[in-house]
Amino acid sequence: MQLELFEQFYKVKCFLFSKTKKLLNRNLRIVFLYFCRQNTDFMEWLKTVGQYFILIKTVFTKPDRWRMFFRQLPKEMENLGVNSLGIVIIISIFIGAIMTIQTKLNTENPLLPRYSTGLVTRDTLLLEFSSTIMCLILAGKVGSNIASEIGTMRITEQIDALEIMGVNSANYLILPKIIAFVTLMPFLVIFSMGVGLLGGYMVAAFTDVITVSDYIYGIQYAFIPYYVTYAIVKSLVFAFIITSVAAFYGYYAYGGALEVGKASTKAVVNSSILILLFNLILTNLMLV
Amino acid sequence: MIEVRNLNKSFDDKQVLKNISAVFENGKTNLIIGRSGSGKTVLMKSIIGLHQVDSGEILYDNRDLTKMRFKDIKELRKEVGMLFQGSALFDSLTVFENVIFPLEMFSSMTKKEMIDRANFCINRVNLTEAKNKYPSEISGGMQKRAAIARSISLNPKYLFCDEPNSGLDPQTSLVIDQLIKEITQEFDITTIINTHDMNSVMGIGDNIIFIHEGKKEWQGSKDEIFDCNNQNLNDFVFASDLYKKIKNVHHNF
Repeated sequence: MQLELFEQFYKVKCFLFSKTKKLLNRNLRIVFLYFCRQNTDFMEWLKTVGQYFILIKTVFTKPDRWRMFFRQLPKEMENLGVNSLGIVIIISIFIGAIMTIQTKLNTENPLLPRYSTGLVTRDTLLLEFSSTIMCLILAGKVGSNIASEIGTMRITEQIDALEIMGVNSANYLILPKIIAFVTLMPFLVIFSMGVGLLGGYMVAAFTDVITVSDYIYGIQYAFIPYYVTYAIVKSLVFAFIITSVAAFYGYYAYGGALEVGKASTKAVVNSSILILLFNLILTNLMLV
Repeated sequence: MIEVRNLNKSFDDKQVLKNISAVFENGKTNLIIGRSGSGKTVLMKSIIGLHQVDSGEILYDNRDLTKMRFKDIKELRKEVGMLFQGSALFDSLTVFENVIFPLEMFSSMTKKEMIDRANFCINRVNLTEAKNKYPSEISGGMQKRAAIARSISLNPKYLFCDEPNSGLDPQTSLVIDQLIKEITQEFDITTIINTHDMNSVMGIGDNIIFIHEGKKEWQGSKDEIFDCNNQNLNDFVFASDLYKKIKNVHHNF
């Protein structure tokens, strides 16, 4: 008897639950559609996101000719990666030096060990500066370069010319850029770390802010190799964001020179925002 | 031969092409003429497949473009050459590299054969002296000739020219027109030219299609244009005093 009652109760519960679920689903759908209709900005955003993923799908297809892809790849490596070395050196060396001075000035406490300046400089460079801040700076240089190059090709009908020839223009133009930059970015990041530490060393060597031996001891103390892995993983993701977002805005630029400029600006702004967002996500996933 | 049947194309709620049917024969220069905004560029881009039409058929030697799969369209495009209004040469490549580009991308030729073919195309448009120059280093007319050389490098069956004379002086325009006509006849290509240059119409118009407000209003040859009664066509073709005088001379003769 008790069992029958329980079964009855269970059936009623399931029925009510399914009805509630359907009703909830239906209502949620209505609310969502109403929200979409009312909010054209949201719809535009959804459209842009969809367009981005469609472009990425077109980019990651087999190239029409591998020979042409491998001819483009070293050119892009030089253009996007090697040509960025100058800015990476200048910024890293100065930031490394400044960070060492500021860390020393802000940690003037007898309770703190003398090597802490080198340690803090090293960890800041490894964890945040060389991977994230450097990528934000490169988003400005590389992102605007890609967006304006592809945007100009679009408005001067060069992309249409490729399409009419039967070339997958997105794949031909964008894939080598993404592969080239993603490949070179870890090297740029490691290079930036080294140069940043060198900047700090120069402060120790040429000023009396900190001694060379304290600095050298500090940058070696409690070194965690995983931080380098973390920085490299972040840089790979950021390199993909910078190239793909910039290429997306360039590829869909229409009109004239003004639109190419706008596309370039949008590329830099949006890739910077995405870098910051993914920095938070990756830090949470990899360090917490 | 390219044939379009009952083509309709709208952008949002504006109908740009209204039930257009026409035949573009091979070995002839087929001109699409009309005022700015009449829909001639949309018609050409629809024929090429850059715009998807709402209804109608586009037949490339009886192969319907509107029913083709993406892969087949890609294959068809290897038979198509196009000369763009602004030449659309790749800035980062020299004239020679621009011309050899389609060959490197799609042909199964050996390196030597490709170089020979590219040199042949460059010689054909009389551009040998500029073959190692970048597009920014040559004149507008030379850029057009380089673009023609690139468009014929894969030996196309169909050639599309979007306002080939825009931005050129009358003398250079004549050279380009003549070159297109010669190439069309020499290689037996179906050539479609989109223009509003009356010198081209009178010079190389074997088959002329007049588009007005998205509708085909008239089709005929350059000789038939003088006897046409279509008011819109007469207003368009004989707008200038020079052509009015030519028409009067033609009628008195």
